[in-house]
Amino acid sequence: MDSRIRSEELAHSGVMVHIPPALRSFTDGQDEVLLEAGDAASLLRALDAAFPGIRERILDEMGRPRPYVNVFVNDELVRGTLEQVALSRGDAVHILPSVAGGSLA
Amino acid sequence: MVLLPRVKKDGTVVLVGTKKGGFVFHSPDRRRWSVLGPYLPGMPVYHMILDPRDGRTVYAASLNPGEVWGPGLYRGRLGSVPALTKSAPKFREGSGLAVKALWHIEPGPEDVPGSLLAGVEPAALFRSDDRGDSWSGYDALNHYPGRENWTPGFGGLCAHSVLLDPRDSRHLVVGISAVGAFESKDGGASWKPENGNVRAGFLPNPYPETGQCVHHLVWDSARDGSIFHQNHCGTYHRGPEGGPWTEVTKGLPSDFGFAIVAHPHEKHTAYVAPLIGGENRVPPKSQLAVWKTSNRGRSWKRLTKGLPGPGAYMGVLREAMSADGGDPAGLYLGTNTGQLYASRDEGASWKPIATTLPPILSVSAGLAR
Repeated sequence: MDSRIRSEELAHSGVMVHIPPALRSFTDGQDEVLLEAGDAASLLRALDAAFPGIRERILDEMGRPRPYVNVFVNDELVRGTLEQVALSRGDAVHILPSVAGGSLA
Repeated sequence: MVLLPRVKKDGTVVLVGTKKGGFVFHSPDRRRWSVLGPYLPGMPVYHMILDPRDGRTVYAASLNPGEVWGPGLYRGRLGSVPALTKSAPKFREGSGLAVKALWHIEPGPEDVPGSLLAGVEPAALFRSDDRGDSWSGYDALNHYPGRENWTPGFGGLCAHSVLLDPRDSRHLVVGISAVGAFESKDGGASWKPENGNVRAGFLPNPYPETGQCVHHLVWDSARDGSIFHQNHCGTYHRGPEGGPWTEVTKGLPSDFGFAIVAHPHEKHTAYVAPLIGGENRVPPKSQLAVWKTSNRGRSWKRLTKGLPGPGAYMGVLREAMSADGGDPAGLYLGTNTGQLYASRDEGASWKPIATTLPPILSVSAGLAR
């Protein structure tokens, strides 16, 4: 049986957070997590409440996404402060490492 | 190289942090070397140490798996794959600061076996008393008045040298680039800049209270509180009474370098690896050389036997030279072009023990137990 929530169900259920492989150790391997939140900052707090420690991998102590970590809402890259990014039921949030080709590292 | 899968008890180990993982070289006799690793492959290992209090526990300062997810500290038994500790140093939310990288891990006091100190970027000092699982900051240093005016060196605004006095664990000295040395005699409750007579040739006032670009600090083995100091602008020594530093650059080929290491048991004896200068960080005359003093820097002797050159254009970073506790002392030097050299005779002659490593960020020798 497909345990994934269908998109029509999702629209009524909350915000779907797509978890990158590097952070699935926090989510017991789950690649998607459904949460309720009105903005992106609250969403990450709710994610951390469910999976303690995951938020500080994504954000630094100043509440900013770490360098080379990108947060997308639907297909839009979040550029402002997370509190200003409103979320609605049915939104999809992706947390992704950016590519850093050519880095001196 | 002979491959020995296990690190022998009482063997010498040399832990090497590189831009692409950590390596452990080990030898029963300092002649035949084996290597384990890379640990944390592909990840920068800024500093890797063997805890001298047990001779078994390894700590590696790096990043969380995947590199972009923030700083991570790893802990493991010598010869095994280290695992992430439960947390890395971090500032309190709302402090306006965020830890970017872990630069230095220092074992804490002998009588507190699980204690560790960590120097981080942006410049701050943290302490753990549970082998790195939880951390607290030295607030008096981390929020020092005027901090907003501190400026980074080329490598960042980092606390990279952490000296804990073996005679008195309340006595601490920290080196910060490009801010200077700070000293506490009350366990970190208060701090004082200690940069008297240290040049900051790149500032309008070359002798400010702070703003010096300290590159590395190490205790003199005299064990009386004396310190050797390699700076962006010269080499220095400070005696047991503290106070202003004495510049001891005379006799060296340049006033620039990063690495400095004290002889493990001969007092007033230290080694440096000078580079031409801030604009050209390669060895003078394209000959990699280690310079030794046995008299607090009053005179220096050039040691090159077995080291590459002429035609050598590599650098030696601040953590990339170390001494073991042997007699005669063994010395180890890593380059930012991936060569690791060892000396079994206190620097008189050197042999490569690895030549194709990633750029070497740190070298730390110890004794396996």
